[in-house]
Amino acid sequence: MTIISAQAHRAMDEAAGWLARLQRDDVAEADGLAFEAWLTASADNKTAYRTALALWHEFDAAGAEVDAELAARSRREAAGRTTRRQWMVGAGGFGIAAGLAVVVAPALMGGPAIQTLATRRGQRQRYTLADGSTIDLNAETRLRVSFSRSERRVSLDDGEAIFDVTHDAARPFIVAAGERSVRVVGTQFDVRNRQGALTVTVARGKVEVRPAASGPHVYALTPGQRLDVSAAGAERTRFVDPEETFSWRAGRLVYRGEALSDVVADLNRQFPEQIEIADPELGRIPITGVIVLDDPRSVITRLSLMLPIRAVTSGPGLLLLRK
Amino acid sequence: MAPSEPSKPAAADSPLVEAFLEKRESLVLFLAARTRSMAMAEDLAQDLYLKIAAMQPGTEIRSPGSLLYRMASNLLVDHVRSAQRARRRDSQWRDDTRTSVGGEEVVEEPSAEQLIVNRERARQLAEAVAGLPPQMGRAFRLNKLEGLTQMQTAEAMGISRKMVEQHIHAAVKNLTRRLGS
Repeated sequence: MTIISAQAHRAMDEAAGWLARLQRDDVAEADGLAFEAWLTASADNKTAYRTALALWHEFDAAGAEVDAELAARSRREAAGRTTRRQWMVGAGGFGIAAGLAVVVAPALMGGPAIQTLATRRGQRQRYTLADGSTIDLNAETRLRVSFSRSERRVSLDDGEAIFDVTHDAARPFIVAAGERSVRVVGTQFDVRNRQGALTVTVARGKVEVRPAASGPHVYALTPGQRLDVSAAGAERTRFVDPEETFSWRAGRLVYRGEALSDVVADLNRQFPEQIEIADPELGRIPITGVIVLDDPRSVITRLSLMLPIRAVTSGPGLLLLRK
Repeated sequence: MAPSEPSKPAAADSPLVEAFLEKRESLVLFLAARTRSMAMAEDLAQDLYLKIAAMQPGTEIRSPGSLLYRMASNLLVDHVRSAQRARRRDSQWRDDTRTSVGGEEVVEEPSAEQLIVNRERARQLAEAVAGLPPQMGRAFRLNKLEGLTQMQTAEAMGISRKMVEQHIHAAVKNLTRRLGS
């Protein structure tokens, strides 16, 4: 065991603070002068800073490997969660078929065979394509796959899917969704095409989004970037945490200020029991948080703890009212 | 010290050069916070030296320290911007332009032994990052591993820039305690 003095301990805390402060986008001379004053104040400070810096640079040198290792870990965790959830689903009697992998047979010789993959309400399913790429389909999603010698083409007619595309420079992977086409070579990204609104979120690699017809707006999205195209055609890119967008695969929905009506629309794709909102104004309440998809009643009970809503049973479903 | 720097300033009368030589180590450590290696920070310091050595000797400088850190900050802005561009180019390169010669991909691969060592260390690093509290770990991953700036990380997580900085501070402390030598 290493025993370090309180002084060295404080120096390490301060060194970490300096390393973080110097990451500011607008770091300037005042930061530099203050940093120098601190650094040269004691030998402990210098040692601590050099130690933190060495580790910091190690993450630069091994960044890609560390990233890959972390991605593999979260995949394993997601798989573990799915298993537990399935068990819960079984016990609760809810019909959510959680993703057992389905392998799609290679396209037959000759022209590109078209295969249709689809999920029902409450069903999430992973498909593995002939080239090793995987597609996770969210509930109520329909897409068509056609592979030829020169390209791999998928039409996402309606719904949401996460694509994990194997690298093949000779055969680009193209996802046609609404008025846009998404073109990649090897990467991981989520495409959501619902009610005319399109969202593309990139976790890895580079993704190009262009209008299906020729047009001026071509986007080259990099990891962490997300493109939203509203039903009216308004476009916007921003940075997001891809893990959040991808979390539906592990049975969680993450929201940041989305309207309750949108959240309910998502829930209604996941559960047989349909939820209705009594009052449109209620539907506009912004929701921020994580929803674990166990069963609709529990979800609504948890939501009602945070929101001025209550649920009453209405026929086969639930009706949301103002509290 | 880089070989092309005179150990004694040629223009001994330039207070800026004198200040640079005196503050050199601090300047390099300042720069290194934003470069991917110490060598790159040394390179930037060398650029800084060449800039000040080329300045008119008669220029009146009230505070050499301020000027040096101002110039160093400007160098960093350019460096970080081009590094982000290079990073994007890199991932693009890896993803869609792997050159192949006679069907073989031309990529310089590290030796098998090196690969095993790196992988083991990468596993340790990843484990330590995975062990961070969720929000802290997410900030660290986005800012350090995905290469987003503090502002971009803040936007992605829906928190303030200051909060991102606090997460990074705590993450570095935590990781250094577990992994640092």
